[in-house]
Amino acid sequence: MSSQVVDHSALKVNQAGIIVTVLVAFIGSAFYRPLLVLIPLLAIVLLLGTFVPRLALFKQLYFKVLKPRGIVKPRPVQDRPEPHNFAQGLGGVFLAVASVFLLPLTVVGLALALLVAVLAFVNFAFGYCLGCQIYFQLGKRGLIKATGSSETTRI
Amino acid sequence: MSTQLWALAVVGTVVLAAACLEVFRSRRARARAAGAAAAPAAEPYILYFTGEGCTVCRTHQEPALAKLGAVRVDKVDAVAERELADRFHVYTLPTTVVMSRDGAALHVNYGYAPAPKLERQLAEARGAAMQAATA
Repeated sequence: MSSQVVDHSALKVNQAGIIVTVLVAFIGSAFYRPLLVLIPLLAIVLLLGTFVPRLALFKQLYFKVLKPRGIVKPRPVQDRPEPHNFAQGLGGVFLAVASVFLLPLTVVGLALALLVAVLAFVNFAFGYCLGCQIYFQLGKRGLIKATGSSETTRI
Repeated sequence: MSTQLWALAVVGTVVLAAACLEVFRSRRARARAAGAAAAPAAEPYILYFTGEGCTVCRTHQEPALAKLGAVRVDKVDAVAERELADRFHVYTLPTTVVMSRDGAALHVNYGYAPAPKLERQLAEARGAAMQAATA
């Protein structure tokens, strides 16, 4: 079905980065409100990383620091990167919308950001990627070009 | 702090509503897919719906299927084989369907199905086939 390999440790570091950043912004803003700025910054990081992979901050942290020093071991899995990129972009869009609400309606902004962190946690802990499922549904309806083998394979 | 608590309450409500919706959706899809037909075979077999980007398929479902031993597993790309996926109301990946010898869906599992669960369902399918043969 796919001969590409995706390092799932890079995805996990990305998810952990999202969770930690949102939690710091969420809890920290109760004591020091300017920490809310982390949410629009995270949105920019995720959206940039979606379109320009070499600017994906957390993945670069993994590839340039954590992996070479042996802090996080690589976990290559036969997979395709597109659904994961789509999920990351979706997270970035949600955080961008959250950022718009942060000043006029802080509760809505924080709730949206926290929802992104919850979904990142579900992916991190259980491997369930909601963004990838949405990608699958859109591909099934022909709304995006999701490539796949056209045959049924017996395994 | 009250802003954070309200936000937490909103997220909790959304997560709870999503969980309830998922249970409802899964039950409805299972009821609709029950009895759907595919190709007959000599022995009960498994239709395994997967697709690109399905991480759980590769990290959990495929190792579980490998544990089943000599059971026929038909791997289907749910996007490429849309008509077949729609017949079994596949709305999430992975989806596994335990098929009887005559090609009728006996059990439909939406989401990851562990090996013991699939083994139990296959045993039921084999038992039903034996009963039909002796009757």
